[in-house]
This record gives sequence, C-alpha cells and structure tokens, in this order.
Amino acid sequence: MTDKAAVGIWHWLLGAWMVLVIYGAFFYAPTAQGFVGESARIVFFHVPQAWVSVLAFCVNLWASLRYLARRDPLDDARAAAAARLGLMFCALATVTGSLFAKVMWGEFWNWDPRQISIVILLLVYAAYFALREAVTDEERRGGLAAAYATLAFVTMPFLVFVVPRIYFSLHPDTLINVRGSIDMDPRMLRVLLASLVGFTGIFVWLYTLEVKLARVLIERRRRGES
Amino acid sequence: MSASTLVTEALAVFAKEVRSELRSRVAINAIGLFGLTTLVAVAYQIGPYQIHQQDRPHLLAALLWIIVFFAALSGLQRVFVKEEDAHTAKTLRLAARPLAVWGGKLLFNVVLLAALKTFLVPLYSVLMGMQVASVLPFIVLLAAGCGAMAATATIVAAIIARASRSGTLFAILAVPLMLPLLVMLIAGTRMAMTSPRWSDILPALQGVGALAGVTLIASVYLFPVIWHD
Amino acid sequence: MLCLAAVTPIVVTFSGLGKRFGSRTVLKGLSGELRPRRAVAITGPNGSGKSTLLNLLAGVMRPSSGSVSYLCADSPVPRQRWHALLGVAAPDMAVYEELSALENLRFFARLRGLGRSDGELERLLVELGLAARDVRRPVATFSSGMKQRVKLAQALVHEPAVLLLDEPSSNLDEEGHATISALVERLRGRAALAIATNDPREMVWGDERIHLGH
Repeated sequence: MTDKAAVGIWHWLLGAWMVLVIYGAFFYAPTAQGFVGESARIVFFHVPQAWVSVLAFCVNLWASLRYLARRDPLDDARAAAAARLGLMFCALATVTGSLFAKVMWGEFWNWDPRQISIVILLLVYAAYFALREAVTDEERRGGLAAAYATLAFVTMPFLVFVVPRIYFSLHPDTLINVRGSIDMDPRMLRVLLASLVGFTGIFVWLYTLEVKLARVLIERRRRGES
Repeated sequence: MSASTLVTEALAVFAKEVRSELRSRVAINAIGLFGLTTLVAVAYQIGPYQIHQQDRPHLLAALLWIIVFFAALSGLQRVFVKEEDAHTAKTLRLAARPLAVWGGKLLFNVVLLAALKTFLVPLYSVLMGMQVASVLPFIVLLAAGCGAMAATATIVAAIIARASRSGTLFAILAVPLMLPLLVMLIAGTRMAMTSPRWSDILPALQGVGALAGVTLIASVYLFPVIWHD
Repeated sequence: MLCLAAVTPIVVTFSGLGKRFGSRTVLKGLSGELRPRRAVAITGPNGSGKSTLLNLLAGVMRPSSGSVSYLCADSPVPRQRWHALLGVAAPDMAVYEELSALENLRFFARLRGLGRSDGELERLLVELGLAARDVRRPVATFSSGMKQRVKLAQALVHEPAVLLLDEPSSNLDEEGHATISALVERLRGRAALAIATNDPREMVWGDERIHLGH
C-alpha cells in the first residue's frame, strides 16, 4: 500500500470516528445529573477543544525551542502552524463554553476563572501573531516569536492551575479532582475519551497539512535562490 | 566568566540608565504623570464615598493595581526602545555581555516601579480612603509585585524593541503575561485590607514570588537570543 | 601620540560566509581572515554588503551560511568574550547624547571592566581631535564630526585587538581625516584591522582588499 493510500484510509477512518463520536455524544451517553437539560453534552466537544488548544500550545513551544537551537525555517513554520490551529480551537472552546454558560447560568460570560484562563490563552495566541506581523526580517521574526512563545508557556501554568484555586469557580469540577477520582458515568467517559482522540486526530491532520505546505514553500525558495 | 564582573557590568548599565533618565526624565514623567492623572480621574469619579463598605476591599484593590499596571505600561518599555530609537543598541550590543545589559535594565525598571508605587500608593490611600489591616504583608506584596512586573515588562520590552518598537505592541504582548500576576496581586491586596494574618496573604505572595522566579529564569535564557540576531 | 598597550594578537577567520535577507542574497561564499598588523580594505558599490560583512565579523548579525571565529593562539575565543577584544565604529551606531563625551567613555570602559582614569579618557578624546573644553559637554550639542570622534573613541577605549571601521572618516574635515589616517597607521602595528569604505583616500589604508560587488 502506498503512503498516499494509507493517509487516505486514515482520513476516512478519522471521519467515521468523528461521526461515531457525534452519535455517541447525543444518543449513547446518558443525561448528566445536576445540569440544565441536555447541556452537559457540550462537554464532549468543549473539553476536547480546550485540550487541543493546550496541546497546540505545547507543540508551539516544542517547535519554538527547536527553532532557537537550530534556526531551521521549517521549525518556525511548525510553531506558527501549531499556533494558528491552537487559536482556532481556543476560539471554539470559548464559544462552546459560553453557550454552556448561557444555558446553565443564564449569561454567556460570568468572569469565571476558567473562562478567563481560556480567554487569556486566546490573547497570548493573538499577541504571538501580532508580534509575527510586526517583524519583517524572517530570522528575527522566528527568534522573537519563539522567545515570546516560551515566555508565555512558563506563565500559563499560573493561570490554568494556580489562579482557579485561589478563586471560587462556577466551572464544573474538573474530571480529575483533588480527591484523585474520576466522577463520570462510564459511557460518558468512553464518549469523552473517543472525542479527545478524534479532535487530536483532526489537529494532527491539519497540522501535518500546514507543515507540508511550509516545507514545499521553503524548498521552492531555496531552489529559486540557488 | 566571573560573577562579580557580570555584576559590575550590570551595575554600570544601571548607573548609566539612572544618569540618562535623570537628565531626560522621559520615563519618569510618563509613568508618574500617567499614574497621577489616572488616580485623580478615578478618585474624582468614585472617591472614598461612592463605594459601599462591603465592596471596598475588592474594588479598591482592583483599581489600585489597574492604575499601577497601566502607568507601568506607559513607561517601562523605554529601557530598550530608546536604545533602538537612538541607535545606541548596536553600540551597547558590541560593548557588553547580554546578561549585564538585561540585569542593569531590569534593576532600573524595578527601581522605577518602586518609585512609582512609593509615590502612588500613599496618595491612593489618602484619596480613596484605602485602609490596610496588615501593613507589612502589604508592603511585601508591593515589593514582590514590583519585581514580577519589572521582570515581565523588561523581557517584553526587549522583544518589542527588536520588532516594531510600538507602544501598542508592548501592551498587546505584556497584558496576557501580566494578567495572572494582576489577579494574584489584587487577591493579595484584598486580603491585606481585610485580614491581619500573614497566612491569608501567603497564597497570593507565593504565587507572585513563583511567577517572578520563573520569569527571571526564563529571561536569563531568552534575553541573549532576543538581544542578538 | 596615542598610548596603545600591547594586546593579545587575535586572528579572525571566516569561511563560506553568506547572508540572505528574505529572498535577496547579499553575501555568498566569502572566506578569508583578518590578521594582526594587517589592514583589510572592504570595498564595493552601495548595497554590495560591506556593512553586512562587518556586522557578521562583529557577531551582531547571524550568517545565513558559514561561520566566523576569533582565534587566540589558535584557540577559539568564546562568543561572550568578543566584546572585550573588538572595537567597532559604524554609521548606524551612536553614543549616548544625554551624556558627555567623557561620561560615554567612562561607561564603555566600565562595561569592559577597565579602570581608566578621567585623565586617560580625556587624552584619548583630545588626540582624536575633540577640544578639551568639549569633553564634558553633552554629546547632543556636538556637530556630526565631533560625534564621529566620540564614536571612534568608544571603539578604541579598551585597546581592542580587532578593529572594524565602517567609513571612519565620514563627517570629518581634512584635519579629522588626517587624524584618522595617523591612527590607522599606528593601529596597523598591532591590531587586526578591517575598513569598509567607498572613499579612495581610505582604500589606500588597506594592505589587501576584499572587493564585493555584482
């Protein structure tokens, strides 16, 4: 089997997987207790989106550190691709979180610490791209963007882990709580984990496409110069 | 590399910054006047009588740090931006080790922020009727906030000085990084206003201290990369 | 007479040096070396990369290809020590205008851990053509020629083993050019020297020439 055929099969499998996830989110998983109506079903989409936005942030950091070490333009392209996708999933997580907040608490925005942390992640991504736009020299752009991404990464744990524990949060108890237990119906957990895998697959697919395109553009420029 | 030589070089940079600033007074005027203007505007509109007693700790803590934060944003980037504007950055780059430059300018920003707070916080207390239950923890919190804010502002200033040198870009880059710090400082200040116990302010102090620490460590590794092409 | 103490000889080698700005290649495959007691004149039309080459040799710019090394008795000098051995004066560099000429030199001497007295610093400025009454005035009040002299002074204050000069007598009158000419003649006796220039009067200072161009 050729690589192209294998990739094609993997894409079709991913599509089928996501169809199953959507079906499972609405028909297989039971209604959660303590939530307004069926609103808890948004967790199967909101949580994976938030997870992917953080995963993208980590990939952005990894690629940024590689760029600082090797100064390979492809690493800079990898970092930018991860940030673009991270921004997209972060925006989706914000929107789905707001929809849930409206149903659950009557307002789209409650200034809940977890809502704030996802918005600040959005601001970090936006700042990253504002910085990239402001620098015309490619090498300098890559270096400065990588430095900012690293700085943002070391600051984020305070927002995500420290601040919500200082303030009372409306946000539902996280899946893994201070008691170390998972408080979720087994069927719901299965659908959630399947959705996590699916959304991660979508991220990997889109990221790979962006990096392939960047590789082609870099190679074309190198050939043009030589 | 001898540690004392790096310290001596950093102190030379700091001394130069102080001498230059005392002659031009651009940053001092910017952050001092911005802070004063904002404080007067807030005090005039809100003052000590417009806030209900139960809301005072929360509102006064938040307003104080918002005023300090935006005053800091108006002037802390100058340490690096003025070097690029005056074409002295390359001269400095060739004459000093990166960490000496970073250390001297960080120290300058710490002193500048400390001066701003020394001037602004007592004035704020008088104009807004802010009363602090535990003074010493509050002063420690102010000092820790100084260090943390200056650490973040200095490294971000170094980044934007190599980019567009735009004040807007400085705010765009600095705000997301400083927001967790602001949240912790506001929480700590609120506690200092309502509780005489160190233990109540300790979580915020620990958070601010830890954030300052990681920012400083990250800066030590990142600044040479930012400073040199 | 400029008092120049003996310094450790440094050889600057560069091989396969290239620099690209976006899609524009400015330098490609450049190799050579700067040796003590030799002056190299770097010539070429505007935009040929003279200043870029000096920036690469000074280490303020990262090459797109190739490398630059500073060797002391055949051992490489770590990048973080170059600033102590290197003096650079270029049109895109300035000194601190709110400080006096003397304060500038004091600062740059301290940065390199040097304990130069005010008398020594003043002598350097005067020998570069600055009037004694001007050394304590803010540089902001200086003419462009006077600023150029202060710029040269900061490049020389630590008696560098490697000196990179980009159009050193620009903004200087005939007397200034003569001062620089005498300076180069003395420096040639100990330092590795590179001078980027389009001025025929400066080109003759080089024992050898690197010509950049299309």
